[in-house]
Amino acid sequence: MKHLGFERSKVRVGSFDFTCCEGCQLQLANKESTLPEFLALVDIRNFREISSERHDDYDIALVEGSITRSDEVERLRKIRATAKVLVAYGTCACFGGVNSLKNRLPQEEVVREVYDGKKVETMPSTRIADIVKVDFSIPGCPVSKEEVERVVVSLVNRSLPTLPRYPVCVECKQRLNTCLFDLGEVCLGPITRAGCDAVCPSGKSACLGCRGPADDLNFRSFTDLVRDNGLSTEEMLEKLRFYNGFADQLGHEES
Amino acid sequence: MIYKVISKSEFTAFIDAIVKANNAYGPRRVDSDRNGEPIYKFMPVASADEIAFDYTATHFSAKQFFLPFREELSHFSFDEQDNWEQHIRYEAPPTLLFGLRPCDISAVNILDDVMLRGPYPSPYYLARRRNTFIIGMDHLPLPDCFCKSMNRHTVSHGFNLFCSDIGDSYYLSINSSKAFTFLKEFELRNPTPEDDCLLIERRKLIKQSFLTNIEVTGLPLFLDIEFDSPIWEKWGDKCLNCGTCAMVCPTCYCYSVEENFDIDLKGSSRHNRLYSCNLVDFAEVAGGHNFRPRNGDRLKYRYYHHYRGFSANDNQQICVGCNRCGRACLAGINPKDVINDLRLERETCKTGDSPSPNRT
Amino acid sequence: MQDGRFTLPEQDLNREPFAHRPPDFRQKSEVMITDRGYKCRITNIVPLSVHERLFQLRIVDPAERELFRFRPGQFLMLEVPGYGEAPISISSSTSNREFIELCIRQAGHVTSALFEAQPGALVSIRGPFGTSFPMESMQGGDVLLVAGGLGIAPLRAPLYWINDHRDHYRDVRFLYGAKQPSELLFTYQFDEWKTVSHIDLHAIVERPDENWKGRTGMITALLDDIAIDPENTWAIVCGPPLMFKFACSHLDGIGIPMNRMFVSLERRMHCGMGKCCRCMVGSTFTCLDGPVFDYWSVINLKEAI
Repeated sequence: MKHLGFERSKVRVGSFDFTCCEGCQLQLANKESTLPEFLALVDIRNFREISSERHDDYDIALVEGSITRSDEVERLRKIRATAKVLVAYGTCACFGGVNSLKNRLPQEEVVREVYDGKKVETMPSTRIADIVKVDFSIPGCPVSKEEVERVVVSLVNRSLPTLPRYPVCVECKQRLNTCLFDLGEVCLGPITRAGCDAVCPSGKSACLGCRGPADDLNFRSFTDLVRDNGLSTEEMLEKLRFYNGFADQLGHEES
Repeated sequence: MIYKVISKSEFTAFIDAIVKANNAYGPRRVDSDRNGEPIYKFMPVASADEIAFDYTATHFSAKQFFLPFREELSHFSFDEQDNWEQHIRYEAPPTLLFGLRPCDISAVNILDDVMLRGPYPSPYYLARRRNTFIIGMDHLPLPDCFCKSMNRHTVSHGFNLFCSDIGDSYYLSINSSKAFTFLKEFELRNPTPEDDCLLIERRKLIKQSFLTNIEVTGLPLFLDIEFDSPIWEKWGDKCLNCGTCAMVCPTCYCYSVEENFDIDLKGSSRHNRLYSCNLVDFAEVAGGHNFRPRNGDRLKYRYYHHYRGFSANDNQQICVGCNRCGRACLAGINPKDVINDLRLERETCKTGDSPSPNRT
Repeated sequence: MQDGRFTLPEQDLNREPFAHRPPDFRQKSEVMITDRGYKCRITNIVPLSVHERLFQLRIVDPAERELFRFRPGQFLMLEVPGYGEAPISISSSTSNREFIELCIRQAGHVTSALFEAQPGALVSIRGPFGTSFPMESMQGGDVLLVAGGLGIAPLRAPLYWINDHRDHYRDVRFLYGAKQPSELLFTYQFDEWKTVSHIDLHAIVERPDENWKGRTGMITALLDDIAIDPENTWAIVCGPPLMFKFACSHLDGIGIPMNRMFVSLERRMHCGMGKCCRCMVGSTFTCLDGPVFDYWSVINLKEAI
């Protein structure tokens, strides 16, 4: 359908998963109310959870999961070479995600614990952007389907999508939630990027920062706040490391 | 304005009737905080039993009934010929708000000035304002309320009905024919001289109960002079940039306008979203230049807006002194401390006996 | 149990509480009270430089076209359906009632979308908004226009105005600077302005290329070149904040009164109607009290420069 005189065509999409639970892909196949419209926007060339067809002529690669093996690095580089636009989606792809918990232990110990000593090739969990150029990131564990829809709609309309730059608190307050700090909990809402519509705090569970840091966050003031709320530095680090979204801040802090 | 007195039991019956017959909101206890203190919010109420008549203050203001956090301004529908039509609606169902405090009603009056008095009155706001029936109630201030300093502890217009607690009864200020018509069905009496005395006593008590006072006279000048003061950076260093203060504030009305395509590409929606000047990209222009890049710049700007006022708003201070922002701020920033700091800064500077740091 | 006697009526429930000061919808504009815009067709797109293009628009409805009048220096909100709105100063002549010209740099989300649009596409405008240059007050005096880069966009309307009423003004000078020659816009009109409008035009660039034959340096260098009669000169300065700061303090230095120097400020407006506060400078709305300010107001505005 033409708009402003230019033809809006379907985007050819491939979705690829690396080390992850495929929950984000599943999220895209969810939400039946808009699924037909969503599928009308895209020409699925490669998407395990949606179609059994496999083609390598996609324009947009949606990449899910983090990188934990050398063969994954090779596969990712090939995808990057094929795709015009590479979108990292999901917290694993954007930050390393829960998978990164293993980075804190010696890799041999991890393999011994999980695979009982079997020979398994593994490397520290790495985000996509550390290996190839990422054009756009959609964080979230799992991603919000609305946000992916918005991004795809933007691409169809030749426009650049953007993420909110402010923290979760804004959306949380707009949903009129009682602040979890008032209830005695420590929530990462004040430093985590919004866009999730504060789904966790709305269900009275504290934000764990799956969307990573908001722009220009005030980390020092936040650590003061956490300390005032009775959490030790170790406990706070535990929370911040859960999704590995705050690696840059922590690296800065610890150095 | 007509003044009447109603017994508390009769008042409850009146509220019950009016709440049941309408789309009504009132203060309800929703949670207990970590110290066991109740947390109140304006919530839908279906009967008088659900209302916390003795509530202290709500965490959120009543502004979202007039300025929703997100509101569609217009919708575009596109056709096959690459043409479009713009559709605009501003409708609001009649709504009853019960239990607003004088500061809350003052806040609505301030929003009236902003949204309806300028060269471009907002039809969206007007639709909601016209169709909202406000019943106000006085209360004894919390220790950190400072509405008296802002002269917002009493209110004389902007409500349909206002109730002052005079012991066994409520002293009613009836400010609309509709409210009067409703009340005709209930047992009212004309105020006796004793009732008048009780009302005056009540007002005195409220006035004397304020524990927090902020000196705001001459503040616009102070704010101008202290524009480059180091105290902004000091408080800015604490600020989390989270926008909470603006979201709970009854008068913060700044917004952003966004537009999104519908998922079927057959239309798009332009909507506004209440924003906060504390958020990082508030003053950013196309191309990326940010006119207020630092926390302190943005924090200062919010105080500037609230306590200096805007030209288009006759330079009136728009803070009503409810201290919701102070209570909600996780970083412990509150108007009292910031303004006192600002004044102190000036005074020590004047006497010269304790020169402030960073001032050479 | 619900009692119908206590149900609030659907319409106009509440005239009373604030009836003592009813809002006046007709105060400023009979048409532009809402978010409804004028539908426009893009009739022509002229590339001006790598990042700037001139868009020519025509209001589709003849009645609306008749209603749309503006003053030099005013801006409008340009809606690109689906993408949003952006504030754009009007670059065409106030006497051109057929077309509106907008000189636009591809900078953000909305303007990028506009750069994708093809001639014939339908967009929408709201406005005009804001203050304008007091062209009538300048009559009988010299006019000095100073522009840096894209700052020429809001100056085109006063230039056309001067052309239309050339005998009202004495000496008119136009100083135009840019970083490099390729960033000088509307060079194709320079001769017309010089010979037809009798405007003394000087251009300068900071980084010349091999074909550049004119002056090299900052815009303030051009101010030294010309003789200014400060008693009778009105100045219009437009460009990046740093540029107008230097230019205005220079002009202030040679004695042009501050209330006879005008600048056009740029902020990101979202509503254009003095509500959203995005364009606030200090305690002033750029959209209502500006974009055109005299220099005295600007130095009084906190955070203007």
